Amino acid sequence: MPQWPGGAQQGDKQQPQEQMLGDDAVAGAAEAALKHSSNRIIDTSSGKDDGLNKCPRCGSSDIHYSLTAKALFCSYCRHTWNEENAERAFGLDSSIAELRGHTMASGTADIREDLTTVTLKCQGCGAEVVINVEQQLQARCHWCRQTLSINTQIPNGAVPDAVLPFQLTREEAIERIDAFAGKRKAFAHARFKAEFVPDNVMGVYIPYMVVDGNMHAVLRGTGEVTTRQYTVTTGSGDNKRSETYYDADVYSVQRAFDLLVDDLTVESAERFDIKDNKQATNNILGAVQPYDTENAVTYNSNYLKNFTSERRDLNVRDVDDEVENRFLAIARAKASPTIGRYDRGVRWEEEGVAVRGTRWVSVYVPVWLYSYADSAKGEGSLVHYIAVNARNGNTMGSVPVSHPKIFAVACAAGTVAAVIAGVVGFGWFLMG
Amino acid sequence: MLPLLAELAADPTTTMLLADSDSGAIGIAFPFVAGPAVFAAVYGGIYRYYRNTDKRHKFEKETEVAVGNLRQGDRRVGTNNRQKSRSMSGRNSTDHLTRVRRIKVP
Repeated sequence: MPQWPGGAQQGDKQQPQEQMLGDDAVAGAAEAALKHSSNRIIDTSSGKDDGLNKCPRCGSSDIHYSLTAKALFCSYCRHTWNEENAERAFGLDSSIAELRGHTMASGTADIREDLTTVTLKCQGCGAEVVINVEQQLQARCHWCRQTLSINTQIPNGAVPDAVLPFQLTREEAIERIDAFAGKRKAFAHARFKAEFVPDNVMGVYIPYMVVDGNMHAVLRGTGEVTTRQYTVTTGSGDNKRSETYYDADVYSVQRAFDLLVDDLTVESAERFDIKDNKQATNNILGAVQPYDTENAVTYNSNYLKNFTSERRDLNVRDVDDEVENRFLAIARAKASPTIGRYDRGVRWEEEGVAVRGTRWVSVYVPVWLYSYADSAKGEGSLVHYIAVNARNGNTMGSVPVSHPKIFAVACAAGTVAAVIAGVVGFGWFLMG
Repeated sequence: MLPLLAELAADPTTTMLLADSDSGAIGIAFPFVAGPAVFAAVYGGIYRYYRNTDKRHKFEKETEVAVGNLRQGDRRVGTNNRQKSRSMSGRNSTDHLTRVRRIKVP
């Protein structure tokens, strides 16, 4: 039952059933995290209460992100502005070499799955509006038509520390998707070709954890250097055989070095796990990286308006194993230039990193996403994505193929090759 | 057909050809190797171009990383002679994503 504007008449006796969440909840989460470990929390909240999110010039709440202006746009006074750069605003750009322990921006706090609705109190008229924060972060006050926003960092993963706004317009994205699919028409599945409508592209914010790391890496293994190469001939006449042999020196190889990793990105929505391609071609979403996360701005719910956003549902401890694996992979890649003398290669047998310090920030990155699921296969069929990185235009996608067509062409090519090889082989036979 | 085969069999050069060294006979296998190989390459190539299942973000190369305080400890431990392969067995120096035994680093 909605309250009467002004608030007092009918609603006094009724307490809102949903919990009002504000800075206290975030502070609580931060304190809890502090108790568990020596983690340091950086408060990245906007300082605004939930409710009206006003234009700084005229006070209107009718604001959206304009792709032509590449800025927030007030529909009332036409003022345009962008929020402050998040790294500078919260000191997230301090030297990685000085990182000790785990530093977490408050937007990476552990998720509370039970938090599904929040009651917003309209500061314009006093009405209370229930908002389903799993689906959206803004709602219109049904009494005074003002836009009410979630401005605080509610701990359900829907509010990041920072947002990387869209740069590419929808039209530019459609052009890229059209060109990408256009190059892949010949062997595409007939139904895909018939049903392909690039205009169905959606602007999606995908949650990433951006991790800085200060660590010491150690790699141990075995390497070999060729010392001699020689050819041995055995037998005589028709049974003459020659074979090349290699002699090598074997070395025990060890490399130890310090690493400062800047802005490693890791997916933080389970649905978009790039290693799981069973339901959807998630590897495509990873392949359009990198994102210039250093340009992310502080969170303002108006950036998300008119776009969809995926809620973060993985906590720091859910992704930290993956992050450590990536640190190790980086260490191995960085060791490559130092083992050039081992021309027979190196077999790494042991590896490890001592992480001295990390810094975690949750960021929403922008993607123009076209998704296609075969209509004839119904529920549960593989979803094919064509994704455009809305910052730099990187485009990658998966187009469903027509296996009979590929089979036919591969057969034809195989037959031609077999015939040519037959002619060459017969010549070889005659000459042999 | 049969008289032709009989004639061929009677021809001394045919017996020479059939009894020839392996290097000549290998030629007969060419189409049986090349056909399936080209089939697989064309099939796999087209499939990969459309589905891009192998594409990923090469984070280990593209992430901004500073490296310092490099210490190397290399020591000759023996020889491995008379090897047929140009590269050592089990080399993984270019395969950054496979993890090996984890050690604790102090």
